[in-house]
Amino acid sequence: MTGFIVRRVLSMLVTFIVVSIVIFLMMHSIPGGPFDGYEMPLPDNIKAKLMATLGLDKPLWEQYLRYMWGVVRLDFGVPYQSPGETVMGLIAHAWLPSLTLGGLGILIGAPLGILLGMAAALRRNSWVDYLASAVATLGLTIPVFIISTGLILVFAVWLHWTPASGWGEPKRWILPIMAYAAVPLATYARYARSTMLDVLNKPFVSVLRAKGLSERKIIFQHVLRNAAIPMVTIFPAMFVGIATGSIFVEAMFRVPGLGAYFVSSIDKRDYPLEMALMLLISAMYSLSYLVADILYAVLNPRIRVGGGGR
Amino acid sequence: MTELAISPPLAKPDTVRQRSPLYFAWRRFTANKGAVGAGIVLLIIVLMAIFAPVITTTGPNEQAFLTNSLNFPSAAHWFGVDDLGRDFFTRIVYGARVSLGIGFTAAIVSLLIGLPLGALAGYMGGKFDWVVMRIIELFSVVPPLLAALLLATVTHGGVWAIVLIASIFGWKDVCLLVRAQVKSFREKEFIMAAQALGASPWHIVWRHLIPNSVSPIIVGFVLAIPLAMMLEASLSFLGIGVQPPTPSWGQMINVGMNFMFYYWHMAVFPTAALAITILAASLLGDGLRDAFDPTLKGR
Amino acid sequence: MTTPALELRQITKRFADFVAVDRVDLVVPKNSVVALVGESGSGKTTTGLLALRLLGATAGQVLLNGEDITSLSQKQLKPYRRQMQVVFQDSYASLDPMMTLGEIIAEPLGIHGMGGRGERQDQARNWLEKVGLDGSYANRYPHELSGGQRQRVSVARALILGAQVLVADEPTSALDVSVKAQIVNLLQSLQTNMGLSMLFISHDLSVVRSLADEVVVMLRGRVVERAPTDRIFANAQHPYTKALLDAVPTINPKARRRRTFLSREEIALRTPRFRPEELDAPPLIDTADPQLVALAGSHFVEAIVAERAIP
Repeated sequence: MTGFIVRRVLSMLVTFIVVSIVIFLMMHSIPGGPFDGYEMPLPDNIKAKLMATLGLDKPLWEQYLRYMWGVVRLDFGVPYQSPGETVMGLIAHAWLPSLTLGGLGILIGAPLGILLGMAAALRRNSWVDYLASAVATLGLTIPVFIISTGLILVFAVWLHWTPASGWGEPKRWILPIMAYAAVPLATYARYARSTMLDVLNKPFVSVLRAKGLSERKIIFQHVLRNAAIPMVTIFPAMFVGIATGSIFVEAMFRVPGLGAYFVSSIDKRDYPLEMALMLLISAMYSLSYLVADILYAVLNPRIRVGGGGR
Repeated sequence: MTELAISPPLAKPDTVRQRSPLYFAWRRFTANKGAVGAGIVLLIIVLMAIFAPVITTTGPNEQAFLTNSLNFPSAAHWFGVDDLGRDFFTRIVYGARVSLGIGFTAAIVSLLIGLPLGALAGYMGGKFDWVVMRIIELFSVVPPLLAALLLATVTHGGVWAIVLIASIFGWKDVCLLVRAQVKSFREKEFIMAAQALGASPWHIVWRHLIPNSVSPIIVGFVLAIPLAMMLEASLSFLGIGVQPPTPSWGQMINVGMNFMFYYWHMAVFPTAALAITILAASLLGDGLRDAFDPTLKGR
Repeated sequence: MTTPALELRQITKRFADFVAVDRVDLVVPKNSVVALVGESGSGKTTTGLLALRLLGATAGQVLLNGEDITSLSQKQLKPYRRQMQVVFQDSYASLDPMMTLGEIIAEPLGIHGMGGRGERQDQARNWLEKVGLDGSYANRYPHELSGGQRQRVSVARALILGAQVLVADEPTSALDVSVKAQIVNLLQSLQTNMGLSMLFISHDLSVVRSLADEVVVMLRGRVVERAPTDRIFANAQHPYTKALLDAVPTINPKARRRRTFLSREEIALRTPRFRPEELDAPPLIDTADPQLVALAGSHFVEAIVAERAIP
């Protein structure tokens, strides 16, 4: 097992380095620098000096190496758009809204989805089943910004139940959380339904019924455990995806989270912030895949116990 | 020992009807009403896009109705008029051309990249397969939207850039599907028999593996379309996709957001158009997948 | 002695640290059927694949009609493919589900560039009938046939190029008993009429009895006994062979036979080469190991067993 983890970590590192090089090159190939905005046109010599202080006049490979050296020490530099703090500091406080809304979204959406999927599996071909399938399909195929638009239209504009946007009081959180919850709800509804159906059709369940075990016990003690494995393994990646904020949700609901900063960093050629965001998110995805694989190996008794016994 | 028993001819050998495996897949597909419905809806939308000039009266960029700007839907203007005095229905229909066109083209390019890579990786295994899987891993780790954003900014948006970007993120699904299929067939005896006959690897891939991969090819293609469309819509929504005045649904949603609270038609129609199209394409893709491989879970 | 149709000399196949086939010698004379028997895992299928050059040998030689084809590349092997063909066990997986039967049978002709399209189709139909299926089947798909019928198609495909050597890897093992007989009959009649040389791999001794001229018994990668069919059935020497024979069910429940039930430990005890603790370990290549020794005429058995044999 440790060998497996070590190899995966190594391959993750390699991927990480390749990704960082590619992103770095892409970033720097966007024409224009941080001081080329039209709001305050700067005379050339001042611009040149500013670029020099930031080290932007050095050759690309040197900039890359200096940057990566900082990364290793977890120093991501200073964001150009907000020089009063470090990139890490900015990310830390920008992440809070994203994490809150996204985290709550997935924590509410996933269990609801599981319940919906379970209900659908247990009442096959009933209206519950139909509803669950519809919800699952809609949630997964309709892009999140459309869902957000829909939510705003329905709940804020037409029904006047909730405020449309902003970040501050919790009641402003309702709509964005609903928007975030859509994908986990849909995904888990679908997964829960299909894995439960799979397990319910397995011969061992028939045996348990024949033995006289109550349906409730069968479900909670046996079926769930078997069905849980795939659902647990998809959680890490989904969490990373949602808890890092969605550009759209944040744009539509005016939430000052990571997504919003990402867009502005590209716009303003804020290299340090851009790089840091891309690297961090990629690293988190990588890590989440590793966690998922480990979880799978641990939970699946065939792999856990199988090993060397005969 | 008994004589050589010649098996009697099958009940009624009809030399006319050929019941190939594809025939059965088609039967399963048509039994799935939802998928068939989705296919029809998609077809209608595609036809509307193709015959756009026929069903609309003006061009999509003609600001012919400035005095009627922001009018609500009426008999004269089915979807109303937008803020720049253009007939909204026309804009939406032409927007279908752009969005669908990008979706289809990107899906084709994804297929052109993913199919050969997947087939070869699945058949040859070994180092080649390892390299392809590493590349796929690279693409899996980077959040597609963010990277797309970066790429789009680098290339200043525009239709062809979007097609390219969407293909870059779409090919890996097709590749994985084809690779899995080819791998499952590689060890089958009919491949070994072909090798024993002296067939070259090329012959085997071309005449045996690819025809047996019809399922992942079609499914991969159809499912790549909504993904590409979503990416395009997302980028256009953020302003770096298709540039105005060329109409694109994502872009129109972005504009519509500003008018949404009163002039609801500006937001509702492009949203509905996008949602319906993506939904139809996804349902069609799912239906096709179930038709080709009924052993998949959940049914 | 005329050149044998197929000969394997000291053929060995090693996978990492596991030896699947250990210095096997095999000769299939022209116009005869040699059966290769053993239980699952004995290495007989691997041997078949080695003979067909679908697997590369770790050591040893493969001779087809006297010519050494051991180290030829797949490209160089192409002309030889016309002389040796194969029929597999799994009849369904042996045929491309997306091709019609006619296309399947005609494919070899296409690969070797023999004949135009029309001729190929005619030949395919011809062969369909030769294996006992109606010519109209040419437009059918494999899934429309039964197992036995599919095997007939496999046989047709194998012989259409005019191959003189056929390797049949458990062709009847997946078939019902009654169908088994049909296929065996088919093979027998084709063999007689066309003078085929066959390497018939099987674990089913009852089938072997009616078809084979010579039986070669494999155990864990090595040949342990080799003799003409009647001798094997009348007077098998090796305890393993005896156990195999005794395991064949007879139709008469009343016949009380003294069956040899050999447990693994018993095999170990009676076959001095194996010590009990070696049963689970892969066999090692031991160059000092004695080869098969002739008992009487063409009956060969492992030397150690030969010492205690009763001719």
